[in-house]
Amino acid sequence: MSSGRFLDKSLKYDWLFLGITFALMTVGVCLVYSATTGEDIPMYDTFWFKQIVYFFGGSLLAAGIVFVKIDWLKNIAFPIYVVSLVLLCIVLFLAGDVVKGAGRWIDLGIFKLQPSEFAKIAYLLTISFWLSKHPVSLFKLKTFAVPALLFIVPFALVLKQPDLSTALVFIAVTLVAFFFAGLSLTDLFLVVSPVFSVLLSHSQSILFQVLWGAFICLVVFAVFRRRLPKALMAAILVVNILSGYASSMAWNMLEPHQQKRVNTFLDPMSDPLGDGYQVLQSITAIGSGGAVGKGFGNGSQTNLAFLPEEHTDFIFSVLGEQFGFFGCTFVLLLFALFLWRATSICKMSSDPFVTLVTMGASTIILFHVVVNIAMTVGLMPVTGLPLPFISYGGSFALTCMVLVGFLVNMRLHGHQ
Amino acid sequence: MLNDNQDNEAVQSRNWHIVVFLAGVGLLFLVLVIRLYSLQFTHYEENLQRSENNRLRKVVLTAERGYIYDRNGNVLVRNRPSYQIALHAMSLPKKKEDRKVIFNKLLQIKDKEGEYLFDTLSLDTAFQRINWIKTRPIRILEDATAEQVAIIEEHSSELPGVITQIESRREYPYGTLASHVLGYTSEISEEQLKLPEYESYSLGDRIGQKGLEQGYDQEFRGKNGLKLVEVNAAGREVGQVRGVETQAPITGLQLISTIDLKLQKVAEEAIPDSVKGALVAIDPRNGEILAMVSSPRLDPNIFSLKKRERNKGWAQVALDSMRPLTNRAISGTYTPASVFKLVTAGAGLEYGVLSESKYYPKSCTGGYQYGARYQKCWGVHGNLNVVHALRLSCDVFFYQAGLDIDMARINEFGRRFGLGEKPLGVDIPGEKGGWLPDSTSFNAKNKRLGWRWARGLILNLAIGQGELVTPLQQAVLIGSIATNRGVYQPHFMKELRDENGTLVRRYEPKIIRSGHMKPETHRILMNALDSVVNHPGGTGKRGAVPGIRVGGKTGSGEWKKGEKTHAWFAAVAPLNDPQIAVAVILEAAGGGGAKAAPVARKVLMAYFGIEEEETKK
Repeated sequence: MSSGRFLDKSLKYDWLFLGITFALMTVGVCLVYSATTGEDIPMYDTFWFKQIVYFFGGSLLAAGIVFVKIDWLKNIAFPIYVVSLVLLCIVLFLAGDVVKGAGRWIDLGIFKLQPSEFAKIAYLLTISFWLSKHPVSLFKLKTFAVPALLFIVPFALVLKQPDLSTALVFIAVTLVAFFFAGLSLTDLFLVVSPVFSVLLSHSQSILFQVLWGAFICLVVFAVFRRRLPKALMAAILVVNILSGYASSMAWNMLEPHQQKRVNTFLDPMSDPLGDGYQVLQSITAIGSGGAVGKGFGNGSQTNLAFLPEEHTDFIFSVLGEQFGFFGCTFVLLLFALFLWRATSICKMSSDPFVTLVTMGASTIILFHVVVNIAMTVGLMPVTGLPLPFISYGGSFALTCMVLVGFLVNMRLHGHQ
Repeated sequence: MLNDNQDNEAVQSRNWHIVVFLAGVGLLFLVLVIRLYSLQFTHYEENLQRSENNRLRKVVLTAERGYIYDRNGNVLVRNRPSYQIALHAMSLPKKKEDRKVIFNKLLQIKDKEGEYLFDTLSLDTAFQRINWIKTRPIRILEDATAEQVAIIEEHSSELPGVITQIESRREYPYGTLASHVLGYTSEISEEQLKLPEYESYSLGDRIGQKGLEQGYDQEFRGKNGLKLVEVNAAGREVGQVRGVETQAPITGLQLISTIDLKLQKVAEEAIPDSVKGALVAIDPRNGEILAMVSSPRLDPNIFSLKKRERNKGWAQVALDSMRPLTNRAISGTYTPASVFKLVTAGAGLEYGVLSESKYYPKSCTGGYQYGARYQKCWGVHGNLNVVHALRLSCDVFFYQAGLDIDMARINEFGRRFGLGEKPLGVDIPGEKGGWLPDSTSFNAKNKRLGWRWARGLILNLAIGQGELVTPLQQAVLIGSIATNRGVYQPHFMKELRDENGTLVRRYEPKIIRSGHMKPETHRILMNALDSVVNHPGGTGKRGAVPGIRVGGKTGSGEWKKGEKTHAWFAAVAPLNDPQIAVAVILEAAGGGGAKAAPVARKVLMAYFGIEEEETKK
């Protein structure tokens, strides 16, 4: 921690952090280049070149954000939150351009705006601003009213698109924000416990029954340890047990083909001819990379177009195939360093807003990294979350750069 | 101080939370690293093999299209295997020079007669498309013969990426028989693919066009299966991926149609391709269509041939001035001619204007003076009641009856028995409705010509010149008049069964028009139908069948001055228990009694199983 503090105190800019960001972007452009070569199109039309343009534009935007006063960010938080809701409504009800069956875009002519990306940022600022003034506590349930309202509106609009994975980003940001605005780890555990109840009790097998029983005991223990008000204690237990039973009942009420669809979503490999096909190809590509990979530009799996979305959602499999285990762990290490440098910013300031924005931004990046990579290695459902700084895509590249802008800004102005 | 302490506590708590967060990051990343290790070290060999030597390929198993049977289980439409030679991008060499070698080799391949299998142009197109379409095979030889396949397989070692695929294509064993009813299949067009109703189809799918093939396309299609196979470097299947279940294709449903093959054959033979016309035979008790002919015909087999021959055949039928693509039996609208006198007579009887004892003051002297106009009759018939008038098809009687009854009542009676603008809803596409003009619709239709409705028009309409009907409507009309139990929706689908023969759906007969008249009206009309055919002076006596009481009505539709009339004959039999109604139209053939009645007779004879020889004895 001492070296970290040294880094923190001595420099206005964290050059290590900026270097990592630049390294990740470089890796991204190289991989996009590798994944999309062979198509005979002029340079300015290639994916990798466009990606550079997006990053360049994003960097300018980030640089602009860096010099904005934090107070000003606080002031615009709520207005841009409202704007983002309006945009979400527009895309949902009016101008939805159908991409892969989901209306998520607004075409601005030169640029296709993805309001859900904008909403992520707006929500981050707003929830951070509110929670920095009004911490939450399980002992005062009233404190959850406004944050819940702030959360539910964009969440529902994004879910309606339908864009489940982006909606889950909102949940992740909210939970982490609560964690840094008053909840303890035990509290957090109690808040999310019904979800685990649902997951553990959907199966009738003995193993899951026992696991769920144990889980309920754990919840009881946690509830008593926290000495929560009696009504809340009862409520948490009842919700857990009810959601458990409701889950198994709902599960049994589903038609077999519906059950199959849920299973396929949770475990794509159970449907190797559908979603599983992509995952299987991705796993094969990554696995065939071995320790050091086949070398840059030598991916037989990816070059052969087995993966239809190799330059966006499945970019990590290009990395795995061409640079192997060491390449993958190197990139994971870059992300770990990125998050470490990002979270260290909190320590420079006593302003809870700085903490909340920093941790929220880190959470957005972390969530995308974990969900995306877990998908490409077959550990998680196939969702549409891209890999930050590396996947091809304009809107998301801008989001990432804006988040970087916030982080640098917090470091620069946070201790004032 | 207190404040500082509080702050200090808060800072400590925050730092602790950051540690927890980073620990969570570490844990998650650890899981990912372990998974990567497992893939890239533990299962390295397996994955490398899969990606290098063997490749995974998703193969669509096309579902077998359902067959069509006649009502007695004879196959009307079946499938045959068809071989396609195709290029698979992923198995072709990557270098341009290597591809060029394969290109040249293909160009040199000849069959036994010394003909080249491929031509430069189409091969060049295919090799161009390979650059864009990587996951799907590109066809270079369609519907290849067994010999051609053998030649390609011989050279397979020199031709990596050139593969043989088996498809199934439609085969119509009876050629042109019932071609308009059956329809045909073709590859779905790109325009169709853009429409929302074809969402479930993909490029290269075959889709039913026209007839039952289109009407029941969803049922015939079944559901395609999928399998995951490993192929070797040349693109040939070497085995299935272990642990991956194949989704077996589900064969489409089999359609047992109402068509009677024997009857259909007789009907087809009765109308040669040189004559434009149509025939419909229907069971009026339930709406089952027993036979339907539209002449001239086309051979749907041409649509299953390879492109060059298909285009040739298509050009032939599409440009033919006889318009063989049109199903005249349901899309052809004709003036009903004297057959319509049944409706006029029925309306008159139903509304009490006519009766068996009703005679008109003006007897038929070969024509009728209406105002300044003199309307001719086709003969001189004298003074007649309604039955005699129908038997002789006397126009003068119906001129006067029409004026008496008025068009609104006549049309109402016609609509009861299936005439009119609304199609009957037969289960193949393309059906048109007819037209029963009244003053409003007449004025609307002829607005541009400046024609106005006038009472004098009733003269023509009463004898069936001016209305429009389809041959199907004509058959339904006479059938339902004879049964007097309602108009059943005409249809071709009797049953749908799955490949094991289990019944999936049965057509439930459905009454679509009331089709009812007073018993007295019915009795008189039946007498008239009887006398048209069985009275020595009846116009339809050429439609008589020995041993069976056939009822019928002739018609000779005027359509163009100086041309022969369209010959109509509508018949129903047996009159005491109607089982079959037949309508025949032969375009520009002459008189209905002379030309159309013998055609209907052949069908009726076949239906009742009466041999031609017996009648001669």
